[in-house]
Amino acid sequence: MPSTPLLEMRGISKAFPGVKALDKVDLTVYPGTVHALMGENGAGKSTLMKCLFGIYHADEGAILLEGEEVNFQNPKEAMEHGVAMVHQELNQALTRSVQDNLWLGRYPTRGGLMVNERKMSQDTKALFKDLGVHINPKQIMSSLPVSQRQMAEIAKAVSYNAKLIVFDEPTSSLTEHEVDHLFRIINDLKAQGCGIIYISHKMDEIFRIADEITVMRDGQWVDTKSVGQTNVGEIIKLMVGRELTHRFPDKTNTPGEVALEVQGMSGAYNLLEDVSFELRQGEILGVAGLDGSGRTEVLETLFGVMTRSGGTIRLHGKEIYNHTPQESVKNGFALLTEERRATGIFAIRDITDNTIIAHTSSYLKRGFYLDSKAMERDTDKSIEALRIKTPSRATAIRSLSGGNQQKVLLGRWLLTEPEVLLLDEPTRGIDVGAKYEIYQLIINLASEGKAVMVVSSEMPELLGICDRILVMSNGHVAGEVDASQTSQEEILTLAEKYI
Amino acid sequence: MKKLLAFMLVLVMSFGLVACGTGEEKKKEEATKAATEAAKEEKTEAAKEEKEEKTEAAKEEDKKEEDKKADDKEAKKEEDKKEEAAPAGELNIGVFYYDFADAYIATVRSEMDKMLDKMGVEYKNYDAAGSQPTQTDSIKSAIVAGANLLIVNVVETSSEDAAKEIAAAAKDAEIPVIFFNREVTNDVVNGYEKAAFVGTDAPEAGHLQGEMIGDYLVANFKDIDLNGDGKISYVMFKGQEGNAEAEARTQFAVEDADKILKENKLEALAYYDENADSKFLVDKDGKWSAAAANDYMSTILGSYSEEQNNMVELVIANNDEMALGALSALQNAGYNKEDGKYIPIFGVDATETAQGKIKAGEMVGSVKQDNVGMAATITQLVQNIKDGKELMAGTEELNVDKDVDKIRVPYQKWTAESK
Amino acid sequence: MNSSTDLKKQSFDSKRIINLLINNALIIIMLILVVYVAVTNRNFLQPASLVNLLSLTAAYLPVALGIAGCIVLTGTDLSAGRAVGLTACVAASLLQAVDAPGKMWPNLKPLPIWLVLIISVLIGAAIGVFNGFWVAKFKLHPFIVTLATQLILYTVLLRYVQLGESRGQSISGLDNGYREFVAGSLVKLPIGKGIGIPNYVWYSILLAILMWFIWNKTVFGKNMFALGSNEEAARVSGINVGLTTVAVFALAGAMYGYTGFIEAARIASNTPNTGFNYELDAIAACVIGGVSFVGGIGKISGVIIGVLLLRLIFVALPMVGMDQQLQYAIKGGIILVACALDMRKYLVKR
Repeated sequence: MPSTPLLEMRGISKAFPGVKALDKVDLTVYPGTVHALMGENGAGKSTLMKCLFGIYHADEGAILLEGEEVNFQNPKEAMEHGVAMVHQELNQALTRSVQDNLWLGRYPTRGGLMVNERKMSQDTKALFKDLGVHINPKQIMSSLPVSQRQMAEIAKAVSYNAKLIVFDEPTSSLTEHEVDHLFRIINDLKAQGCGIIYISHKMDEIFRIADEITVMRDGQWVDTKSVGQTNVGEIIKLMVGRELTHRFPDKTNTPGEVALEVQGMSGAYNLLEDVSFELRQGEILGVAGLDGSGRTEVLETLFGVMTRSGGTIRLHGKEIYNHTPQESVKNGFALLTEERRATGIFAIRDITDNTIIAHTSSYLKRGFYLDSKAMERDTDKSIEALRIKTPSRATAIRSLSGGNQQKVLLGRWLLTEPEVLLLDEPTRGIDVGAKYEIYQLIINLASEGKAVMVVSSEMPELLGICDRILVMSNGHVAGEVDASQTSQEEILTLAEKYI
Repeated sequence: MKKLLAFMLVLVMSFGLVACGTGEEKKKEEATKAATEAAKEEKTEAAKEEKEEKTEAAKEEDKKEEDKKADDKEAKKEEDKKEEAAPAGELNIGVFYYDFADAYIATVRSEMDKMLDKMGVEYKNYDAAGSQPTQTDSIKSAIVAGANLLIVNVVETSSEDAAKEIAAAAKDAEIPVIFFNREVTNDVVNGYEKAAFVGTDAPEAGHLQGEMIGDYLVANFKDIDLNGDGKISYVMFKGQEGNAEAEARTQFAVEDADKILKENKLEALAYYDENADSKFLVDKDGKWSAAAANDYMSTILGSYSEEQNNMVELVIANNDEMALGALSALQNAGYNKEDGKYIPIFGVDATETAQGKIKAGEMVGSVKQDNVGMAATITQLVQNIKDGKELMAGTEELNVDKDVDKIRVPYQKWTAESK
Repeated sequence: MNSSTDLKKQSFDSKRIINLLINNALIIIMLILVVYVAVTNRNFLQPASLVNLLSLTAAYLPVALGIAGCIVLTGTDLSAGRAVGLTACVAASLLQAVDAPGKMWPNLKPLPIWLVLIISVLIGAAIGVFNGFWVAKFKLHPFIVTLATQLILYTVLLRYVQLGESRGQSISGLDNGYREFVAGSLVKLPIGKGIGIPNYVWYSILLAILMWFIWNKTVFGKNMFALGSNEEAARVSGINVGLTTVAVFALAGAMYGYTGFIEAARIASNTPNTGFNYELDAIAACVIGGVSFVGGIGKISGVIIGVLLLRLIFVALPMVGMDQQLQYAIKGGIILVACALDMRKYLVKR
């Protein structure tokens, strides 16, 4: 291993109101190596990278690039110092061409004013040829599939001649073939002495490409290991920090009669094809699968957010249609969406408004005004029952922590007294303690006889709280397993069945 | 920090505004200095004009003798009113214009400002920007703020409700109200003893314009009839839909011209587009604007020309702005310049600009709407209130309607010979 | 099996044709309108009539070109009309003939024409910088900023026309050289007695080329589109977002200033009403021409087509004896249809 580190981050701390996002984190990357950064959602990986790129400014600590202290004010400055990033969420000007995006902010010019289109085009072609990327540089970004947009973004990072490139979940939308391609590019970069920070959840990838692994948990540095000296089990243990058995409350629910039957459900505009399953009263059915396998689509198509093109849905043997969310709510369904901030909470409204919004018609008095006393009474009940930590029901929901926001949303749906609860990533972005409470709530609801479906990207979570797990693969049901009998390996094998 | 920044910004801006203001003032001073000589000349001219007016007024008096009975009635009314006449206090006048952007109204405003300044009374101008709700609101606020005399150039003329509401508000506050320029109904004026109207006789402008057109055509028919078909094809530019003055002008200018043509055994006027539903083109923004007339005229010239023997041979406009817009389009197409090809254009208002164009022969005529006379008449009424007299005191000399306190400032034909 | 794929292919083809029709719906509407009018009224295709259509398009084009930039940034500009009014009155007042009746500045000889052009453009650009400052610095929506600016400008305008000797009179009696420079015609079509093409048509063509160049060939243009497409991506890429915003508005303002200079001489009689509502027509033209409020999308050719279509409605509908009142509804309908067709591309079916 070369003697001088390329990048050293020492004792980085960052606090947000109410949350200590980073607590004295260290990270050291050597040139010519791939350094994997691992941790569960919310462990602080993204925050650490944002501190590096000047999107956030660390409260404490120092960043050294090749031994010199740096303090980037913005990503542009970082790039100019040879530090580039491939973002997980693609941040591109979609209405513009690939090459316009590639050279955005640093167009080659004639005389400083006029863009030198020819040079831009030539440079892009040369770059793509080097990297073996086959994209037409003049194509409009929005017309490309996500994986090609991802490759364009990778090419952009490479084009900065960066010494250090950060890849944040680069493979989440790539096919296996494209992943191989990406790894060839990364190995080339490595050979040129480039340092790579590689953020991913995918263990197999990490062990294929990485030289060192740093594990973070709850905003803290846990350990840094050389790949040769560790194994998957140890890394998972480090990430989770405790034995799986202790992370979940006891299961007290017992599945009863079949409540919901779905036969041959397909999506009109999504990848779902011929999805069939049963859900019992008092049962928790997990939906597993890789990103993009159609997990979320199952719930949203069932709920009428996405258009269903075929198949039948039966509730207690009676056929229902769920064409629209309104209809689904009437039929006793409730959907907790994946993107809490985007499609769940009304951020600036208070807890009362957020609690009663799906159920307003029941507070109508004499048919035209809302009974605020009843609304407040129900909100208070919900706060107490779900143990929501809040100063009052008049507090704006955005000032609560993620876990408490999620509880408010759960409370919102419970007011409609649903029979079937569809929960999409119910613990995403929630700290570990709060997760436990959410699990407890889910199990309690099932114990009360509700039928619950849970989509999650965290396999241990599904194994911990579900009775059965439906494994999705490329829009198809790849299998159904008993949660108490199966293993992560079995689920992963199923998940790759139709790829 | 941010607050400080914002505060400083506000400071800088307000300073900038003040600086602008003083700059303007300076300019104004310079301009007035430069204009003192011109002003002297103007005064003598004004004196002349006044004389002319008086002779006219004398003529009108003859007419009025017939109406003496009515006058007697009015005199009685006046006596009744005198008892209630308020003692002269500090005058606080609110002057409400329908639209500052209207060129003719702007000239009235300049004159009125001058006269009121001279009188030394306090007054405030309001712009309704063509919106009756705005005007009604500002009138009500002005009353609350202590205005004790209203001078109102009402916006809405197609129904009397707005004017009635204004009169009622004035009546409630027991303050006099003088409507001007844009006509209100007799009911409005008669409904409140301290209400009066100073304006013109709206149809008169149309009648005068029609007469002028008729006389001009009779004298020059052959030259004007470019295609020799014995008919004069014309275009009419209407200022606004639903405006009483615009309607009257549009109607009477053609009717009266036709009457004269008939008397002289000539064919009546023919609208240039025989298929058109309405025999006029209207400014869609209701602004009587030059731009609207210009776009219409140049579009017309695109498909009507001498080569095709269907050229428009006469342009009639409801006001001078529109006449000037049409003139500009014609000039862009090579007409009404020195070299002879000539389309007669008639407007209304006789603004200074139009007067210049008429003198230069680019337009034939206009109808003078006397801005100075209008302002002077209103100021006379203001003076009455100031002196604690009756609102209509001393107006016997003027052209007043029979059973209603409506003073008519006469229109005059304006041609190249006028001065 | 075979037949089913054939069927699929067929439906795919017909779908493509329908898409092609819908995507070019405006052009098709325009062509149908042109054919219909030409058949009903043969005057329409007379050279003089076409030159007039061209002239009117040229007169209204620059404002639309300016506003289009603001719309590309997902904004808008409501101050355009008043900016045109102000610059028109200023330009006219500086170029009144010595013997003009009611001359605003009686002692002022007409300034050189080029100087007045520069003054107008600078005033316009300054208005644009003012707009851009509030948008960029305080992140205010351009709708709000320009709504406010428009009001402020109206006061300035009303004050301005009361200055000097004009006392609110319309400002006209312009210097003949100025009138000739704008509305005269250097080039005449050799038909009949010669049909003059007004000079401002050429200026507008030059401006359109210039704007095309700026939009497509300069760093500023690319930055503008990137910013409209994804502000965050632009910022992260190190584009000076504030400066670009200000520059876009300044460029738009310069266009208004230029338009003021042209309109003053074209209409030849200037009041505070000059330019009134120009922004609404210009915005309508832009959205009809596919400059999308979604941001980051627009073409100069689209703007030109939009302006042309609106002028076509103005010129052609009366020719076929269409009631004037109906024109508003037709304009409104076209705006709605055009925008709906445009948004259709961005609707994601789920």
